[in-house]
Amino acid sequence: MRTWLCRIVFFCSLLACTYLVAQSAQSPQAQPSDKSSRTAKAGLATEGDKRFQEHCGRCHHLPEDLSPREARAVVRQMRVRAMLSAEDEKLILEYIAP
Amino acid sequence: MFYKTLAIIAMLAASGLSTPAQSDVPVISGGAGFIGTTQGGASFFEPVVAPVIAAPIGDHLLIEGRATFLGLISRADGTTGPYQGQFLESADYLQIDYTINSRLTIVVGRFLTPFNIYNERFTPIWIPELVNPPLIIPIGTLTTASSNGAMIRGALVGRDNYEVNYTAYYSASNLANNPNTHFGSARATGGRAGVFFPHARIEFGMSYERYLQDTPMNVFGSYLSWQPTGTALNVKGEYAHSLSGQGYWLQGAYRLLRFRGPDSAIGRLAPVARVQQFFRNQPVSGDQLPGVNTREVDFGLNYYLPHEIRLNGSYGRQFSSQSNANVWNFAVTYRFMFPMWPGGPK
Repeated sequence: MRTWLCRIVFFCSLLACTYLVAQSAQSPQAQPSDKSSRTAKAGLATEGDKRFQEHCGRCHHLPEDLSPREARAVVRQMRVRAMLSAEDEKLILEYIAP
Repeated sequence: MFYKTLAIIAMLAASGLSTPAQSDVPVISGGAGFIGTTQGGASFFEPVVAPVIAAPIGDHLLIEGRATFLGLISRADGTTGPYQGQFLESADYLQIDYTINSRLTIVVGRFLTPFNIYNERFTPIWIPELVNPPLIIPIGTLTTASSNGAMIRGALVGRDNYEVNYTAYYSASNLANNPNTHFGSARATGGRAGVFFPHARIEFGMSYERYLQDTPMNVFGSYLSWQPTGTALNVKGEYAHSLSGQGYWLQGAYRLLRFRGPDSAIGRLAPVARVQQFFRNQPVSGDQLPGVNTREVDFGLNYYLPHEIRLNGSYGRQFSSQSNANVWNFAVTYRFMFPMWPGGPK
């Protein structure tokens, strides 16, 4: 009986998450507008590619269709798992979700 | 207890709603697959789903966990009789990570035992190029490959040419009073230290564990991981030693990227080979290792389809003084990932 109760709480919590956040407002993301900004981002992405291959590519390839929303949580998790530095985290995040 | 914990995780993730940053959305990822194995004439099949949750809260805190739901379908008498199935579920890890800086992250909860590299890096079903784990994996990861306690880890030294990383942990046992728990672990303490050379893409290191229950013993290990720059070769290996015995495995995989890139028909193919040996020292009850000296060689093929689907097939031959056996594996794995709730820019 308690197991079923916990299952119901689990699924209700998931549903609550989905509903509440679907109602929340979305914050607009800033877009790079000028050429120098794009060049700087390209440089970061190249370095990020290098860091990704050095650290993450040892175990797996780049996930397909990784959105910026997903990338932050994934890279945070990998920072702990792969013992990445803060700089590695930033560059890899810039590379996989520019 | 298991579902109670999942309910707590869901509620903790829901608490992330209070954080202002939309980008802190928790993510559910993981793998699903179907694994078929025939070893020495005995076949068994395993449909598997292993979801992973990662919920960052602010800039320093992360809640992460992985559960495995596994069906085991096999014949009643091994090689004969009707097929029968059972359902198994386990919590692989469920931990709170507090990252203070690059050098130190404090982990509390249930975590994968950080002995050598296989257990932490290659147990997600969509990662290993060979489905069947190496023979020596139980060395250093008894009893459930997970630990309940606390761990510190980080990159102690980070330079352009080299990095020194470490982990140290203590785990309590909860199997004596709850032998059927989904959160079983052994009382043990240990650590791992490694050196990584980014330019050469080579890492090697050593592990130590003091096993503190049943038959107390010291366990040692070392590992190697090498991905030569400019090639798609991936070499990995481990050595481990305990009271039960010692052994090693060495594996090489090569993805045929040179043939028109990773998206070509041949470029999606990755052959893999592994050699391994285990030398029995003395019998230790419940050590989950082969009873006698055993060696095995495996050859496999991986085919990486679009949309994160992978086909894997392998053949191995196992030699021991008890008997020799063929080991066949076939697996289809799918890696999935999605935010815990919809909305926001894709």
